[in-house]
Amino acid sequence: MTSQPSEAPAVPADRPAAGRAQPILEARALTKQYRLPGELVEAVRGVSLEVMPGEFVALMGPSGSGKSTLLQLLGGLDQPTSGEVLLEGASIGRLSDEQATRLRRERTGFVFQSFNLVPLLNVVENVGLPFTIAGQDPRRGDIAARVRDAIELVELTGKERHKPEQLSAGEQQRVAVARAVVTRPALLLADEPTGNLDFRTGLDILGALWRTCVDRGQTIVLVTHDAKAAAYADRVFVIGDGRVQDEIILGRRDDHAAAPLIARLAQLGL
Amino acid sequence: MRGLVPYAWRSLVARPARSLLSIIGVAIGVAVLVAALAVTAGMDASVDRTVQSIVGRADLRVSAFAETGLSAATAAALDAVPGVALTAPAIERRSFIGSEPGHPTTTEPVTVLGIDPVREPRVHDLPLVRGVPLATLDQDAALITERLAAAEGLDLGSDLVVYGAGAPLHATVVGILAGAGPAVGGPVRTVVLPLGTAARLNATDEGPAGSAAAMPSGITRVDVVLAAGADVESVVASIGKALVMEPYVLSAPADIGASMRASTADLRATMALMAAIALFAAAFMILNTLAMTVVERIRELALLRAAGAGREQVVRVVMTQAIVLGFAGSVLGLALGAVLAEVVAAWLRAAGTANVDGPAISPAVLATGLAAGVLITLVASIEPARRAAGVSPIAALRVRSDPAATARAHTGWLIVVVVLIGALALTLLPAGTTGLRGPGRAVAVYVILLLAVLMTPVLLAPLGRIVGVPFALIFRLEERLARAAISRDRSRTTLTVGVLVIGLAMVVGLGTVAANARVAATAWLKDVVPGDVLLTAIVPEPTGPDSVDVELAAVDGVALATPLAAFDLAYAGTRLDAMAIRGHDFEADGRLTFTAGDRGQAFTEIDQGGAVILPRSRAQAMGVGVGDVIAVATSAGLVDLTVAGIVERSFPGTTGEAVLVGWSDATDRFGILGADNFAVRYAPGREAEASVAVGEIARERALTVAPVTELAGAVGSALDSVFGLLDLLALAAVVIAGLGIVNTLSMDVWERVRELGMLRAVGMSRRQVWRSVLVEAGILGAIGAMVGSVAGIAIGVLLVYTATGRLDDGLQLPGPPILLAMILGVALAMLAAAQPARIAGRRSIVSAVRGE
Repeated sequence: MTSQPSEAPAVPADRPAAGRAQPILEARALTKQYRLPGELVEAVRGVSLEVMPGEFVALMGPSGSGKSTLLQLLGGLDQPTSGEVLLEGASIGRLSDEQATRLRRERTGFVFQSFNLVPLLNVVENVGLPFTIAGQDPRRGDIAARVRDAIELVELTGKERHKPEQLSAGEQQRVAVARAVVTRPALLLADEPTGNLDFRTGLDILGALWRTCVDRGQTIVLVTHDAKAAAYADRVFVIGDGRVQDEIILGRRDDHAAAPLIARLAQLGL
Repeated sequence: MRGLVPYAWRSLVARPARSLLSIIGVAIGVAVLVAALAVTAGMDASVDRTVQSIVGRADLRVSAFAETGLSAATAAALDAVPGVALTAPAIERRSFIGSEPGHPTTTEPVTVLGIDPVREPRVHDLPLVRGVPLATLDQDAALITERLAAAEGLDLGSDLVVYGAGAPLHATVVGILAGAGPAVGGPVRTVVLPLGTAARLNATDEGPAGSAAAMPSGITRVDVVLAAGADVESVVASIGKALVMEPYVLSAPADIGASMRASTADLRATMALMAAIALFAAAFMILNTLAMTVVERIRELALLRAAGAGREQVVRVVMTQAIVLGFAGSVLGLALGAVLAEVVAAWLRAAGTANVDGPAISPAVLATGLAAGVLITLVASIEPARRAAGVSPIAALRVRSDPAATARAHTGWLIVVVVLIGALALTLLPAGTTGLRGPGRAVAVYVILLLAVLMTPVLLAPLGRIVGVPFALIFRLEERLARAAISRDRSRTTLTVGVLVIGLAMVVGLGTVAANARVAATAWLKDVVPGDVLLTAIVPEPTGPDSVDVELAAVDGVALATPLAAFDLAYAGTRLDAMAIRGHDFEADGRLTFTAGDRGQAFTEIDQGGAVILPRSRAQAMGVGVGDVIAVATSAGLVDLTVAGIVERSFPGTTGEAVLVGWSDATDRFGILGADNFAVRYAPGREAEASVAVGEIARERALTVAPVTELAGAVGSALDSVFGLLDLLALAAVVIAGLGIVNTLSMDVWERVRELGMLRAVGMSRRQVWRSVLVEAGILGAIGAMVGSVAGIAIGVLLVYTATGRLDDGLQLPGPPILLAMILGVALAMLAAAQPARIAGRRSIVSAVRGE
């Protein structure tokens, strides 16, 4: 179900036209059930959606709506009870552990709410962690250059040798963003990346994410309960009770104004 | 392979106290292992040196069975055996020396060694520092050792009077032997005489005297050198065919060494057991440490997985940490072990328990210690590594880490750890120990300890309630919090308390064995010895109308004086310890507890001859009962003895308890020359006056006097010394437990930081927080002590049974060790908790609530 906000922004010129390229991420009738003592909980119920390459998509909903569970399924961190997830045309819903590991290493990047930096490593080492895991040396050659680029992208040049405890909360989250994008993954997934930050710092992080999308064509799926954060997205899927209740197209905008989104949500009674 | 290794290293460095304590724990375990191995190797080396000094260049030794020695015919027959290149006969007896006939100047015994001056030097080196060697078989000349010369103020040319069974012998000192001289079985104050001269010393009017031409009688042993290329097995077989005149003992150097090693087999096995216990403790500590590290770093591990790290990479992180801890701990352990080995060896030497010049810290011992330390650490780390690899990447998405998540240690892995360490320790057991006294006993101990540890999680709650009662009387809130904290992570508590259980179980177990050993070692004195004092003769005192016991019995105030003589019998090809006794004296004194046969009749029968009284242990081993006949071998052929009775216990011997025969059989059929001990019983209330006269007789007759109570005290002291050493080794596990408690409580405080912050925010004082951690430690310590005590008693019962083969004497429960275990457990745990408690109490409320 799609709809237009009452003051819908103009469709951006850079939005892919109809008859376009294949979606980079596709969910087909995804369901996730958990069995708890005495009851069966359906966290995700029959969700289907598509994300195009280079798109910034937000999954928005209140706490307990199933959006984080949906993100885990889309990122291959968890397996659906039924349905399918396709990343670049390949199914990722039922991978073996080895395949899932490779997926996380090479094709997806994650930004978590609580930063999740390794406190024992400095900024360069944290950003280069995916390469270290892959057996490469993040201090040498091409990889060192990519690490530098990622650090520059999040505007932390000069703080390469700092440990997490020496950085502010916003800086730590920017390191997490740099780590997530350094391998140039097909898909970047961010789960409430501004949840532990103050308003202004949160905007910095959202700005960093947006830049990766605009400057590098990074495809991003953002989970948030905050309309101001969701307003950075090109499209917003409103998640409620485990389903997609609405899809709001905002388009690629430089101002990221949240008013149109908020208005639309009000119309939906959310 | 750089990869995540730096992360693994930094993770260890980030928790320096925990890492250091873990390293020390491993070091202690390895140290006990190295000390046990080095001391055991040192004992072996000492045995080899001693055997070498005993047998010299001999390939075989034929020893006499009877006190009268080998016959001349036997010695001659040996010379004629094919394959024998040389025989060197010798006489070895205890005696004493003086300067006036009939009045020895010293009652310190000497060993008289009679040798063939021509043959002996070809088998044994007799280096002289001064003088000349002996020349002929019957010259009245003597060599003495430097030690004896210095002690008695003798020198070349001194006139020596040597006393024996026959007339005193005058000999001139012609040479001084270096140091302690040749190895002998008796006192190392040695007088070396020509063989013929020595034979004259022990000849009596009834017996034949040696002659210079023929091989003399009374030969104690003959050392045999084989011809080049001769096959030992064939020569042994030929000797068996040639020597049929009398019983004898044939031994090779290896047999002598094996016999010496067998006497310390129990001590070695127990040291190996202690080493295994210490290694268990170290392994448990490593397992716990790494499990805690996994829990603490669960979000980081989840992040690594989310970032694409494979399970095997995460496993490598944990295993790398284990290798670092294990290697560092093992290297430190080698150094500590070298020091501990010196301490143990010195302790054993001082206790006189084992012949060990010093520990043998060879490259093999060090390599074994290092390998064992690293291997055990690696094995202990497998389970936490597996758990870490199983951490889901989703865990990284959680805002707060949940210590109650999936990464808890699986205590079932303890079984694997115990099996591996147990198998490793079993390879250290002395060769030759079998069945319940060897591997079986060790396995049983490991099983008891493992069961005790695995039962701990089940017992935590009920025992926590019980031991919490005294704490709750004073600190009710702290006790409630403490018990809740203990139940938070049962596997961690199990591992922590488990080490304490192991250590304290061994303290209580050894205490049980010590208490029962003391009773057993002295019970025979009360039950068997018919006297208040024992007088020991240097040379056998003939029994008869003028014998010592008659003189002693005539003293006013002496109720009874009875002669005793220890000797060996040959039964079914084995050596049987025997004691010659006067049956009616034992009956009059009420000694010996009969379990079968009529008491009065049995004593009468052995006095008459042709009968024997067996101790129960021997009767069971031989499978005989009252009325059965046993045949013992003598030079005159087989002698039948009817079993007249079976007693609860008897005199301790070399190979077991002694069988009891009458004096008529001892002298007429077994060639016993006389009594070597006299037991004297004082009339009630007359000891003070009678002991003076008894002492005079003892001085005149060169007898040493030892009150039976003193003997009991000496036995007790020797046991205390040995068990004290074993307790020291057992305490190693208790110390490791203390280190583990520090780690565990530090982790507990870290995990509970928000909870403690909240409690502080609602009004709990710093002191109350501090006390809650201490009370938690006290409860853990008490639980460990209770479970450990029960396990320890079970182990003690097992060790007592395997040592004695019986439990019906009544088990002595080790009250003091149990009390010590309780106090030690609680005190150590609370001491270990001091620092974590202090940290918990000083935490700022704000930072605690934030979880920083």
